[in-house]
Amino acid sequence: MISKQKITSFDALIIGGGIAGGEAALNIANTGYKVLLIEKDLSIGGKMILLSKVFPTLDCAACITTPKVSEISRHPNITLFTSCEVSKINKIDENNFEATIIKKPRYVVIEDCTACQLCEQACPVSVPDEYQFNLVGRKAAFIPFSIASPKAAAIDIENCILCGACEKVCPTNCIDFTQDTEEYQVHINTVILATGFKLFDPLLMPRYGYGLYKNVITSMQMERELAPTRPFNTILRPSDGKVPDKIAYVLCTGSRDASIGNPICSQICCMYSIKQSQLLMGALPMADVTIYYINIRSFGKGFEEFYQQAKGMGVNFVKGKIGKISEKENGNLILRYEDINENRVKEAEHDMVVLSVGVLPNQDATKLFKTDELKLDPYKFIHQVDSLLSPAKTSIDGVFVAGTASGPMDIPDSILFAGSASSEAISYLIQHK
Amino acid sequence: MAEKNMKSAKILVFSTEKISDPAIDMAGLLKLHYPPTVYTITVPCSSGIKSRWIMHAYEKGFDGVFIAADGSDCIFGESCTEKTGHIVSRTHELMKQNKIEPARLKMAAICSVCSESFVKQIKSFNEYLLKNSNS
Amino acid sequence: MKKKIGVYICHCGGNISDYVDVEKVRQAIENEEGVSLAKTTIFACSDSNQKDMVADINTNQLDGVVVASCSPKLHLITFRNVCERANLNKYNYVHANIREQVSWAHSDDKLGATEKAIHIVKAAIAKVRYAESLEPNKIVAQKAVAIIGGGVAGMKAAIALSDKDCPVYLIEREFFIGGRVAQWDTMFTTNETGKEVVTKLYNNLILRPNVTIFTGAEVIKNVGSIGDFKLKVKIAPRYIKDKCKEGNLQKAIDACPVVLPDEFNFNITTRKAIYHNFPSEYPQSPVIDIKNCTRCGKCEQICENIDFSQKEEILDINVGSVLMATGFDPYTPKDGEFGYNEVDNVVTLPQFKRMIELSDKKLLFKEKEVKNIAYIYCVGSRQAEGENTYCSRYCCTSAIHSSLLVKKKFANIYNYHFTRGIRTYGKQEVLYAESSQQGDIYMQSYEDALPIVSRINDKTIVKINDILTGGKEITVEADLIVLVTGMVPRADNSVGALFKLPKGRDNFFNEIHMKLRPVETFIDGVTISGACQGPKNIMESANSALSAATKSYSYISKGILETEPIVAVVDKNACSWCNSCSEACPFDAISKIEIGEKTIASINNAVCKGCGMCLPVCPTDAIDLIAYSSKEIESMIDSLI
Repeated sequence: MISKQKITSFDALIIGGGIAGGEAALNIANTGYKVLLIEKDLSIGGKMILLSKVFPTLDCAACITTPKVSEISRHPNITLFTSCEVSKINKIDENNFEATIIKKPRYVVIEDCTACQLCEQACPVSVPDEYQFNLVGRKAAFIPFSIASPKAAAIDIENCILCGACEKVCPTNCIDFTQDTEEYQVHINTVILATGFKLFDPLLMPRYGYGLYKNVITSMQMERELAPTRPFNTILRPSDGKVPDKIAYVLCTGSRDASIGNPICSQICCMYSIKQSQLLMGALPMADVTIYYINIRSFGKGFEEFYQQAKGMGVNFVKGKIGKISEKENGNLILRYEDINENRVKEAEHDMVVLSVGVLPNQDATKLFKTDELKLDPYKFIHQVDSLLSPAKTSIDGVFVAGTASGPMDIPDSILFAGSASSEAISYLIQHK
Repeated sequence: MAEKNMKSAKILVFSTEKISDPAIDMAGLLKLHYPPTVYTITVPCSSGIKSRWIMHAYEKGFDGVFIAADGSDCIFGESCTEKTGHIVSRTHELMKQNKIEPARLKMAAICSVCSESFVKQIKSFNEYLLKNSNS
Repeated sequence: MKKKIGVYICHCGGNISDYVDVEKVRQAIENEEGVSLAKTTIFACSDSNQKDMVADINTNQLDGVVVASCSPKLHLITFRNVCERANLNKYNYVHANIREQVSWAHSDDKLGATEKAIHIVKAAIAKVRYAESLEPNKIVAQKAVAIIGGGVAGMKAAIALSDKDCPVYLIEREFFIGGRVAQWDTMFTTNETGKEVVTKLYNNLILRPNVTIFTGAEVIKNVGSIGDFKLKVKIAPRYIKDKCKEGNLQKAIDACPVVLPDEFNFNITTRKAIYHNFPSEYPQSPVIDIKNCTRCGKCEQICENIDFSQKEEILDINVGSVLMATGFDPYTPKDGEFGYNEVDNVVTLPQFKRMIELSDKKLLFKEKEVKNIAYIYCVGSRQAEGENTYCSRYCCTSAIHSSLLVKKKFANIYNYHFTRGIRTYGKQEVLYAESSQQGDIYMQSYEDALPIVSRINDKTIVKINDILTGGKEITVEADLIVLVTGMVPRADNSVGALFKLPKGRDNFFNEIHMKLRPVETFIDGVTISGACQGPKNIMESANSALSAATKSYSYISKGILETEPIVAVVDKNACSWCNSCSEACPFDAISKIEIGEKTIASINNAVCKGCGMCLPVCPTDAIDLIAYSSKEIESMIDSLI
């Protein structure tokens, strides 16, 4: 059952409520245009809102994102749709687009929910928490995370056993199992694609043992362990809950590796790993942190100094590519690697291994356009038709790209890219008045 | 820890919104430590500090006052350094009249990224004040 | 005096609460005079807390609000806006900085940090007790933007603003537009040449009626501020009339007896005192380098368009915002740095790029054919001892791209790369892979043992202990050594100094906040773009230029700008006009007025910038600055002790 609803038109449609999409939405809305911001997830803020701190300033990521997120959610010129996906966009003629938007049911009336968490407590179902990257569990009736926006409960219907416990305890009766998928048609004049990136799935590299050895985790999981809203309030290794004291980082996991189909550099992993190493040195002063790298790419403003600072704090940097990881009985891990400085194969034991996973294209946006072709680059990121001078232009006139949808980049670059895309979109709107 | 606190002088810093306060913020960001008995009041420009405020601070019990001046970076004009200098010399006169050691007022230009310089200056000022209060 | 003050103390996740006992702070201040509500919060800036604050202000009829959290540079505006949403005038808000100046600065002393936080919050409460509702000054914003620098960033920003119906003045110091990119040959990723890119931009710009381009132009004076910058622009004459016949001009150039190093080609070639940059440069008119012209008159005899009577012009322009796009200088190696200026076949990367473009069929250096090329990376960047500790970001890719180009253009070229770890980030990685596949040799030096260039028996030798082969000593005989030089800030900072633009640790112009406000500066109304903010490639420069254009546009698009109502006020009773304040004022905001029998000082609020320079010079202490009055400052001091 799909209910159809026709709603008004907007000047700009922005797909993706991460930091790039949010920034672009604010820029455009601040010049007086009406913006429709579509987020497929339950909360806006994208990947950044889930990070711990950000390099090279060590600002906490939440401190940067939450005010922006808050500004977005109350901006009079921004209409925000969460749990929504754009299913297709047709270009009718110059600067006229029609988009179909599918709203997935949340089974909670956001306006009535006070985020009191009683439903969470009442729900008997426990499943892995995707917002904590499966480090801990959550309920089927749950608030995504503490700084989510909108901060409201949602029902994970796939795991819900329909016991009704949440409905019974909800003080505002905001849980509504009768909600259904809704479809909207909107008319817009310009589109910004800010669909972000996907993280490399290390299961595709069995020699690193991710999924097999409990103490091999991804950098995003470590990011959660370090975040202010962290699950354990300290750093633990998953196998036995012990505080690790010899941690290894494996850089370029899923990047610069043609054998797994991604020949390019992910541009952020060196720096986020160095950042995590600094945070770990702060949180666990007695711990050894070793970073196994091919080249350290600390290229941005203040990055090289940040790298030197990590060295100064005592982080070990070993130039070497990891061949294989194996597990000992006590859960410790043996890393077999080629030490390039010494030109020989060596082994090292660590009690926790963090795989610095790379950036892959999110191909969600590619099939949206029915009337025109949205071209992709050789790596399946959105193709930039004038990458030197108009980096935000795509193969469709009036459709722009912002942030990591066009390729790997860090937060400062994503924000500048969003500024660039908004400039193009505003110009496009003014020129096509 | 408590003993450590007793080892530091009470210092009032006048910082400026756009130039020296960002440097003091950055000192924190870089985790450059200095005594926690250093307090900051931020004003738009160091050449707008009244002598009576400085005198008020001594009267209330501050051991030292440090003017983190804009210097030549001042956004309000070149005359800032000279004018801040005048404030210091006028205040020194007042201090002498009130039998306050003039060295308890210090001024240094702190640019917007002079975090290390700020911490160095404040530490040596602290040491100076402690040495002189003991004697 | 406020009676209902709300105080919020932020954990900032753990950034504050890991070092400051926030609950203890709360308890210490909840009974302060006037405080009617004291709360702690995990993230004060989060949407949910902001909503709670609005509700608190309304329910409890709060008349003053304090948030103790991070630096006011980050969130003063955030919380002022919260007050406004609760219909409380935003000047009833005071911010206390207990992160940058407490928890982070004193993370080594938790007790001391907590004690300091208590005092700081008390001082903020003291200040807010005296706070008054104020209305912002409203000024009319000039709907025009001055862009300083006519390189790719400046030109791109000009197009973006012009597209938004905003008039633009593009001010270029050189006589030709295009900046550094005009000097580059084929570029990654599109394989367009620098000339093509500049041509494309220029042809786009000259069609626009709302874009005025000045070349040979410098901003020499600025008065005014956001919304209303009044700039004086000095325009140097070209000494050539507008329309001239190319044939005669070329003859005139040929006739000129003065021979000078050509900066456009980084001095690897020469030019005359009357010169072009390159055959289709913009504007398409040569110029006479009057400093070096001997006034021999030979050109005048040949070409009727030479006009030595042209005079320097000074123009006044009035704009609402200034966008800086002043670019960078390539690093110039010191004499002897990797053989520079001592060994005669050492050039810099920019020189090498010009050599590739200017050479045909054979790559020649000083008449000798070049076959073996050694590239030494990170020259002037990542210096362990030296000014430039930063990475210049573009050079690895640029050097590799040039090495591929040179191999494609000329036969029998062998490339040897002496690196410190290649940083071809992102998609640029494919260039590195391509270069390796083509047989280029890559070596990497140890950080404490950089390669050594020496001249032995008429041969130029580069020696390295190579990490990639287990520390083996490798020597390469090279016909040409290319120093892969990085970007440094412009040596001439006169225009930056004119606007008082703050610089960062790396000496490039500094943004307010890398992530929150990346193109804004502490000087309201002045934005920064391109490589003047830090090293960037062309795509990154374009992105930052467009971002800066968006920001500059936002200042002026509404026509009216609000500025802080922080101005000086005169106590009529205490003032007995002596002129001291008027002399101290750098903005001529103070004049005398007669009130009845009495002559007193009067402040022009539209001109006063709120610096406070008039306060300490008043012999009768008759002037205060709004929000910084003696009673406020002194009550803060009382709370800090």
